[in-house]
Amino acid sequence: MDRVNFRTQIITRHLTNHHTSTTNLLQTATCLNYSPPELSEPSSHFDTNALRKLLDGESMDEIDHMFNLMIQSDLFCRRERGGKVFISPDFNEPMEKQREMTMRRIGYLKEQGVFDGWLTSKGGEAELLGFTRANSCGVFDHSLGIKLGVHFFLWGGAIQFMGTKRHHDKWLRPTETYEVIGCFAMTELGHGSNVRGIETVTTYDANTQEFIINTPCESAQKYWIGGAANDATHAAVFSQLEINGVNEGVHAFIAQIRDGNGNVCKNVRIADCGHKIGLNGVDNGRIWFDNLRIPRENLLNSVADVSPDGKYLSAIKDPLQRFAAFMAPLTSGRVTIAASSMNTTKKGLATAVRYSLSRRAFSLKPNEPEVLLLDYPSHQRRLLPLIAKTYALNFASECLKTIYVNRTQESIKIVHVVSSALKATLTWHSMRTLQECREACGGQGVKTENHVGQLKSEYDVQLTFEGDNNVLMQQVSKALFMEFIAAKKKTKPIEGLGLEHLNKPAPVLPLNLTSSTLRTTQFQTDIFCLRERDLLHRFVSEVSQRQAQGENKEHIFTMTYQIAEDLGRAFSDRFVLQTFLDVEATVPAGSLKNVLGLMRSMYTTIVMEEDASFLRYGYLSTDNAAVVRKEVLKLCSELRPHALSLVSSFGIPDALLGPIGFDWVASNSWSSVKHV
Amino acid sequence: MAPTNQVLIKESSNVRTLILNRPKQLNALSLEMVSRLLEVFHAYEEDPNVKLIIMKGEGRAFCAGGDVASVVNDISKGSWKVGADFFSKEFTLNYLMATYTKPQVSFLRGIVMGGGAGVSIHGRFRVVTDNTVFAMPETALGLFPDVGASYYLSRLPGFFGEYVGLTGARLDGAEMLACGLATHFVPLEKLSLLEDALCKANTGDPTIISNIINEFSNKNPKFKEKSQYFRLKTIDRCFSRRTVEEIISALQKEADKNMDDWISWTIESLKKASPTSLKISLRSIREGRLEGVGQCLIREYRMVCTVMRGEVSRDFFEGCRALLLDKDKNPKWKPSKLEFVSKDMVDRYFAALDDKEWEDLKLPARSNLPSYAISKL
Repeated sequence: MDRVNFRTQIITRHLTNHHTSTTNLLQTATCLNYSPPELSEPSSHFDTNALRKLLDGESMDEIDHMFNLMIQSDLFCRRERGGKVFISPDFNEPMEKQREMTMRRIGYLKEQGVFDGWLTSKGGEAELLGFTRANSCGVFDHSLGIKLGVHFFLWGGAIQFMGTKRHHDKWLRPTETYEVIGCFAMTELGHGSNVRGIETVTTYDANTQEFIINTPCESAQKYWIGGAANDATHAAVFSQLEINGVNEGVHAFIAQIRDGNGNVCKNVRIADCGHKIGLNGVDNGRIWFDNLRIPRENLLNSVADVSPDGKYLSAIKDPLQRFAAFMAPLTSGRVTIAASSMNTTKKGLATAVRYSLSRRAFSLKPNEPEVLLLDYPSHQRRLLPLIAKTYALNFASECLKTIYVNRTQESIKIVHVVSSALKATLTWHSMRTLQECREACGGQGVKTENHVGQLKSEYDVQLTFEGDNNVLMQQVSKALFMEFIAAKKKTKPIEGLGLEHLNKPAPVLPLNLTSSTLRTTQFQTDIFCLRERDLLHRFVSEVSQRQAQGENKEHIFTMTYQIAEDLGRAFSDRFVLQTFLDVEATVPAGSLKNVLGLMRSMYTTIVMEEDASFLRYGYLSTDNAAVVRKEVLKLCSELRPHALSLVSSFGIPDALLGPIGFDWVASNSWSSVKHV
Repeated sequence: MAPTNQVLIKESSNVRTLILNRPKQLNALSLEMVSRLLEVFHAYEEDPNVKLIIMKGEGRAFCAGGDVASVVNDISKGSWKVGADFFSKEFTLNYLMATYTKPQVSFLRGIVMGGGAGVSIHGRFRVVTDNTVFAMPETALGLFPDVGASYYLSRLPGFFGEYVGLTGARLDGAEMLACGLATHFVPLEKLSLLEDALCKANTGDPTIISNIINEFSNKNPKFKEKSQYFRLKTIDRCFSRRTVEEIISALQKEADKNMDDWISWTIESLKKASPTSLKISLRSIREGRLEGVGQCLIREYRMVCTVMRGEVSRDFFEGCRALLLDKDKNPKWKPSKLEFVSKDMVDRYFAALDDKEWEDLKLPARSNLPSYAISKL
């Protein structure tokens, strides 16, 4: 009947109104007004500052200081949109200009004293400060974060951890002041993740007490070396070391590649990697060494040294073990990538969620206001689980930082496994979230100044550098396998990496799941542990069976990648859940704890819904999978009222979000167009 | 409430001119005035007969600030909560102005300080003139720049806001226009003509109002010869530092290179100010930069209540004694030095008060937040 009335009205209007002037029509048609979500959304049920503190902890003040520095400087491209100030790099500038701007911003931050003590102060606190500073810069621009990361974490880290006192004294302070600009020459055209396979060769000349670095073939050219194309004066060069015709494996050397005036040194050739899909503010370059001679002291000799008369000296005899010890400290790259991917994710999500709380589309009934995007259950399903996941993964990333800065000789393995798993999981989550946010913003998502689309190409490389995600996940499974076998051999309970649950009997899951079961920590922990345990057992038994048939171990690991990947994810998910529970335990009962509980349930439920392994291996029956799916819908509607407060608690200042998250009518109005 | 002659109201068709009328006290805002203004602003928002609000001061000042002397007096007689009532009303008024749907034009003749800035800078148009003197002098008084100053100071170019807020530096009309605190500069002799023109136009359309003010404006008022605005680079270099201590040492380094009156005045004013005030003011501006005006006022309300409660420091009372009551100009700050003001002490100003009767500032729900109301500077 409504429809009939509606049609009648329209027809009547057609018949009677055809002569009215357009001005009249314009006056009666109501225009869309921007209404800030702060007005329409319920005020927060919990203390948003307290939630942010769970994410950023003690670093909050430092992060905000960095934001203050960037927002107030003209070097960060301040622009006004709809009455608010935004900062973001100008991606429309040519590559050369973007690189120049990145260096000018670094110069500004240096003037502000941001880098003082980065490498010369000691202790975990100083290390955390470094993470915080580089990652805060990365919120503005990934290129800026990466330029700092290469200089301080990779080059600086190589000096700190692979070098000894003589290197520290000589290089660390000039690195902080940028008298020395470092790069990290590890990857080659022919070898990336497989560092042991690199082809650069270094030999020793006892007569002059010099090393001679050489690029023997085109595939040995150093490739993707950040900072090499324009700026770097020095490189940490990774190379095979040949002493008296014996290859002693990969070692690192300090080589000067440019003089003080920026001219490329003799016996070094450098070329640009060219324009990239993102990160064009970083000057990635290629380097060839033509028997470049460097002093003997430039070998980074924490693990092995060469005596003046040319003898190879190392306390670790096994070359494999030596390589592992040598590479161990370099996990800081993965730690910071994991953390920085969380910032990107938060930036994209906060922008898309704010937009979805102010943009409407379609009326459900004629003459009714159009529906707010986030009031569509489908839109909720797209964005809200990503918020919960982001919190969960962010807690894990903070936990990883703590594990890293408190590392000991004994915990190196844990750092390696956890950083590998989380780097892969978090960067995958980041890319997936940005794609979803891009689509959720519709056409506005493809506009560069709204960030979400552009961020995809700026951050895509995170899935590859510091170890390809798939390779990392397989390494995680391999490490779990080794742990399991080692414990079995010693007939001792398995310890560390949170695997202790394997010593207990397998948890028994209820046959028929209900909504309330799904929300208990007991069930959530049980099913995540069961999945990890079962997959580890399956993996071990498959590998053992193949070993019994006489297959080569490396070959076995390449053939069992499917289960290895499932296991890697199971480990990562269980680890993330554990850190979430640890964070929750620190919060007193109340509204904040309640919303954390809701997000934890969302996190576990969405993992169960999305990862096929739960059905594949039968941890969920098809009936129970249906209960899980229904629960997602319910959790979405329960999280919906918290959406704005949850993205506000990310703590990303408005100035660093996309203008589409604010008054998009004003920022697109005719009066805002620059009329020439 | 009973009508007061401390705020005079002139009606001219759809224009309302509000005159702060306590000329002997340089129009310092009393509780009576704040309450009256709050009431009037609420009423005018609903009243279709009001399109434009003009705000000015009787006598030679616009407004020298909140009447803190009487607030301190009240507190000493009763509880600090009497003071809380004053600030809660004042900050609510600031919020109302910042989010107001109808344009407010403030004529900033003479002194505009502290609370006086609060009742003008948040409005749409701020007209300054030849004898305008602006300052946020709170750190010298053991207080901090409040009335939403952490919002508008933090939006000034570079780190000028930190400079103005920490040192209490006085700005003239030209400097206010340059940094964005003012929207127009109108020569003194044209002010009354402008007021007549606005009343005659009888409109609430911001574009028309802006055009009218432009007709009377001097677009490029000259800086005085030694204007601090020529020192922006030094200000940015020093006042961008992480802590007050670092700011002072950066200034001292500049002084070592090139000592002059301005540098020595700047260092001196920081050394004279309350150490606690300096630290909480810097943090307030830095946090304010990342917040909306409402959040700023809620935070400042926590701060001002902590100040009045006097548990961490009683500098506010000491400052009022030394500068307003005894006038010996020699406050004895406690803690006496920056290094004695710990992070924990600073943190307490930013936390909710642990007092059962105390509540965070509840700002009125606004039906409309036009884009210019969210950020004007």
